[in-house]
Amino acid sequence: MKTHNRSNIAVTAAVIVLGFLSVFPFLWMLRSSLMSNLEIYQYPPLMLPKTPRFDNYVYALTAFPFGRYLLNTLTITIPSVFGVLLTSTMAAYAFARLDFPGRKPLFALVIASMLMPGAATIIPIFKGWTLLGLSNGYIPLIVPAFLGGGAFNIFLCRQFLMTIPRDLDEAAIIDGAGNIRVLFQVLLPLIKPVLISIGLFTFILYWNDVLGPLIYISRNEQNTISQALANFRAGYGTDYKSIMAACCMAVAPVVGLYLVGQRYFIEGIVLSGMKS
Amino acid sequence: MTSRRSLRTTVAAYIFLAPAILGLLFLTVLPIFGVAGISLTHWSGLEAPSWAGFDNFKTIFTSDMFFGPSVKATLFFAFGSVVFGTVYAFAVAMLLDQKVPARGLFRSIFFLPYIVPSIGTAVVWGWMYESNFGVFNYFLNLIGMDKVKWLGDDLTATPALVVMTIWGVGNFIVIFLAGLQGVPRTYLEAVEIDGGNAWHKFRHVTLPLMSPVIFFNVLMSVIANLQVFVPAYSITRGGPDNTTLYMVYLMFRESFQRNNFGLVAAYSLVFFTAVGALTALLFGFSKSWTFFEGE
Repeated sequence: MKTHNRSNIAVTAAVIVLGFLSVFPFLWMLRSSLMSNLEIYQYPPLMLPKTPRFDNYVYALTAFPFGRYLLNTLTITIPSVFGVLLTSTMAAYAFARLDFPGRKPLFALVIASMLMPGAATIIPIFKGWTLLGLSNGYIPLIVPAFLGGGAFNIFLCRQFLMTIPRDLDEAAIIDGAGNIRVLFQVLLPLIKPVLISIGLFTFILYWNDVLGPLIYISRNEQNTISQALANFRAGYGTDYKSIMAACCMAVAPVVGLYLVGQRYFIEGIVLSGMKS
Repeated sequence: MTSRRSLRTTVAAYIFLAPAILGLLFLTVLPIFGVAGISLTHWSGLEAPSWAGFDNFKTIFTSDMFFGPSVKATLFFAFGSVVFGTVYAFAVAMLLDQKVPARGLFRSIFFLPYIVPSIGTAVVWGWMYESNFGVFNYFLNLIGMDKVKWLGDDLTATPALVVMTIWGVGNFIVIFLAGLQGVPRTYLEAVEIDGGNAWHKFRHVTLPLMSPVIFFNVLMSVIANLQVFVPAYSITRGGPDNTTLYMVYLMFRESFQRNNFGLVAAYSLVFFTAVGALTALLFGFSKSWTFFEGE
């Protein structure tokens, strides 16, 4: 019993130490964003600013118009989340509920495409959009979301649908419902948890994307938050208080979203790992 | 299980699948052929491509100054991130699986870095690694060691970025933790009754039962880390001495900044094949060590 207690104390201590290391970068970012550059460039470093300078944020906003970037990012993110949810659910429904020739090979192809490194096909896709005259703007970033919503999401949603008994859709079919009604009226409410998870992770994915905007968005006033932060860092090399303030602004929405949708984030992650 | 095959169902199925099929076609299948085609040309992207035969591949494997260092850097980074990231995630999950106060809070703390924008991560860690005023060098000084040029030294640049990447493996921690909570207590108790210690429990119960989850995480981690881009793009720009010239960053630089589309298509094809081979190898290898209950 005694060794048990001792090992529990050791475990708790280890968790606290590692946990502190894990939050430390957040704390350091926040601390640096509230200092003057004079304080930032002191050695040995100050742990806390003498007086927190919230006007760093006001100053950063003049060169880093967060509102505009936020709007730009949402312009890409919101339609994309919708597209992913709509088209991945449709595909998942076909795979989970309908019997048709070609189902197995098609599903195998979807699974295989999950393992494909997306970076390998950037150039032909870019050239395709150039051919269509659309390579500069939001369209190449949004449209792919409406084309199946990603193999992983189809897979996840299909797995979830498989766990729902067919009695419900069969009852609806007997009542004369077609596939659209079965999916959108009967099943959709039942798979809400997985849809929320997919939605949240898609949001994060698009929010955090760097390479896509870098390739398809060239005008500064169309930049996304991530892209703008990268440019801001490159352009303000040593003005770390402003860089850190901008960085806090870029990180805050994601942290906020996590706090609101915590449960679905964790469930979604668990689902993706366990259903494999 | 009364679903019958009928023409109506088939038509409905293909309508529902139409977006996904278009996606497979235009975002996966055709681009792979496209990459193969472009790799056989010289193409600046501005004028029409000219036929090059296998020139680009010859260049890559004989005279290319960047390809070799890039392969080395990418493999080094991915290996470090996958191995240490998996071990770290597993260890933290094992700790959180014990009787720990405020487990939910800690789970959140470990998970959060995973969803932070990668640019944000790069900016903050770049600042902590800064060699004159960075906090890491201050810690080194505190324990009596000299300052290190973390991201400016070819010995430490990739390891430093690996550590930064490991910070963000919260998704794997959550997956491992869920897996561990599914390990039946009775199996662990059985080992105890037989006089086994903690190591025996770990080696003969936890590890085999967790092997499918470990495999899944390793696979996802390999694919993600081989495609590392942001740290090289936003902090090191491939330096010092090409030690962080990761493949996707090299591809981005040579195509969108230097207009060598033919050469980069060849890079892409080689990269695609290598990742495919590695994945297949992992799958083959997994049969020998993953354990599925009921087999």
